[in-house]
Amino acid sequence: MWKSIIYKEWLKIRWFAIIYAALGILVVGNIFLKVQHDFEFSQEAYYWYSILFNQYRFYEYSLFKFVPLIGALAIALAQYFPETVNKRIKLTFHLPINENKALMVMMLFGAFCLFAIAAVQLLLFTGLSLVYFPAEIVQSALISIAPWFLCGFVVYFLTALIVLEPVWKYRFLYLLVTATFVPLYLQTAAARAYSPALPLLSVFTVLLSVALWFSGYRFRKGEM
Amino acid sequence: MVKISRYILVFTAIVGLSVVLPQFYRMALEKPGRNPLIQYSCIDHDFIIFRPDADDKWTNREGTKLTREAYEKKLPFMYTRQLVMDRTMPDSINGEKINIQHAGIFRSNFRITPDEIHAPKPKLYPLFESQSGRANLEMPNDFFRITWRMEFIDAQTNRILEDKSRMFSAVLYNRGFQFPATSINGIPTTRKSYDEGYLVIDSANQLFHIKMVKGEPFVRQVELPTGMKFKTIQCVDFSDKLYYAYLFTENNELYVLTPYDYMLEKFEVDDINPDAYEIRIYGDYFNFNVITIGNGFIRTQVVDRDHNKVDEYAETRPTYDMRPEGKIGQFLFPAELKMTDDNSSYVNFFLKMSKLYWWLILSLVLIIAQYFIIRQRKKNIRTEIIDLMLIGLTGIFGFIAVNIFPNKFID
Repeated sequence: MWKSIIYKEWLKIRWFAIIYAALGILVVGNIFLKVQHDFEFSQEAYYWYSILFNQYRFYEYSLFKFVPLIGALAIALAQYFPETVNKRIKLTFHLPINENKALMVMMLFGAFCLFAIAAVQLLLFTGLSLVYFPAEIVQSALISIAPWFLCGFVVYFLTALIVLEPVWKYRFLYLLVTATFVPLYLQTAAARAYSPALPLLSVFTVLLSVALWFSGYRFRKGEM
Repeated sequence: MVKISRYILVFTAIVGLSVVLPQFYRMALEKPGRNPLIQYSCIDHDFIIFRPDADDKWTNREGTKLTREAYEKKLPFMYTRQLVMDRTMPDSINGEKINIQHAGIFRSNFRITPDEIHAPKPKLYPLFESQSGRANLEMPNDFFRITWRMEFIDAQTNRILEDKSRMFSAVLYNRGFQFPATSINGIPTTRKSYDEGYLVIDSANQLFHIKMVKGEPFVRQVELPTGMKFKTIQCVDFSDKLYYAYLFTENNELYVLTPYDYMLEKFEVDDINPDAYEIRIYGDYFNFNVITIGNGFIRTQVVDRDHNKVDEYAETRPTYDMRPEGKIGQFLFPAELKMTDDNSSYVNFFLKMSKLYWWLILSLVLIIAQYFIIRQRKKNIRTEIIDLMLIGLTGIFGFIAVNIFPNKFID
């Protein structure tokens, strides 16, 4: 039964997940294409200097900041929007399995896909960074991009909440809450500036993973 | 579990609202306030003040209005060019004949703000050649770190330069340096007039001067009084070349480090706290104006060239919390959450609680309003107790949050 549910989720999101993964890899590739180009056209030492002392943030190239957000939004919509068409999710709720557990499995699968794609991007980013930069610059860059990936998970959880919410008025209000909360992860900041906020942002991200239960509950209770 | 998910969402909304609502409020109503410039006049031997926002922009300490020209005449070393243009620059001041070019050498400007202290520091620095024989400084191809040893990393190959690293590490070790460095302070730019390397604090809280002279390491320990610790060391590049750096101690004292003899000389000023205040130091031929600007006050302490105190003057002004818009803000919001702070370059959760407790009145009103909402929905008040408590604690943020995420089915 659980395998079937997971397979159903995979069928819904597979193309979006593949496109997001490909987009992520392309963007990371493009960042380092730019780095390689800049290394060729200016002295390496000046490039390092710009990063260390002039706040040049090479990792912001190609709108990398918004890639996890867009990917998570696409996957969440692909996964949960079809469930709201003709209230198909009720079919899942009629299965002889725990409803909350079913929602949790759906959410965990989506989150796992996001995690796997993020891991590929981060590994690629770290590997390529280490070719061009010393550990200090790589570490700063990773700390700086970490909130963007956490933001991806937050957007995924909150999009699921909004899409599964049965009442439009509340959808709009949840959207407003999302609009107040998501920017906390996307502040413009110097390299490594996010380091003190990361633990709490991570806790918020993990806590929000159960957001889906709320609108799922309202949906199955027939709130209109 | 569903209840927990609701409270997590309510909490999320409270966090988001406590960032956004006070921010919107401030953007709509906060009035700017520019600090006056309080300078010591070597002509009057008294303070004169420039207030950009006031009708009487230029005054003396007593508030007597001055014309702009009269004001500028009283600060000949600050407005030298203007006075020369107007042919009103005095030939002598305080009985001393003034050579403009010579006096200009002693002019210096220094400024540090708390967000520069509380900021992520680079962990790699370029070590310039101090005596290259060239007119201009050149950027080296490698950068150094001081961890378990001093390591130079070549930017072209991204590899450690072993020979150079060993040479510098050995000299540091022989001079008693305790690895790793806890603070590396210098002016890492080629746009300075000369290079004096870095002032480095080691893990035993010893101060070292490290530079590279003709490719060789130059390492000199600076004798510090017992127990002296620094909040920050700010190297300077002034044309008089009298100091390597301003050193700000944990006791909020200010020292300068002189070149060659490595003497620490104390400025006779107090409460110089770069953690919390903006510090400006303007030096001229006769004096140093040491200005501290904090939330709601500005203070200028004047010392002579021997660093002895001459005079001081301070002014206070209402802070945001004391002004009407701030007081209304404290009535509306129990707290303000910011991701950035004026005194820090880090992104963090900066929570500022309201100093007044007026927001409790609004919380009480909102609890009553919520009570009527519950009654209208014909709900059992017992199931809503936590919501009411949340409103009591978080005021308008909690009120909005508990109503955005309805408690309808979770009875």
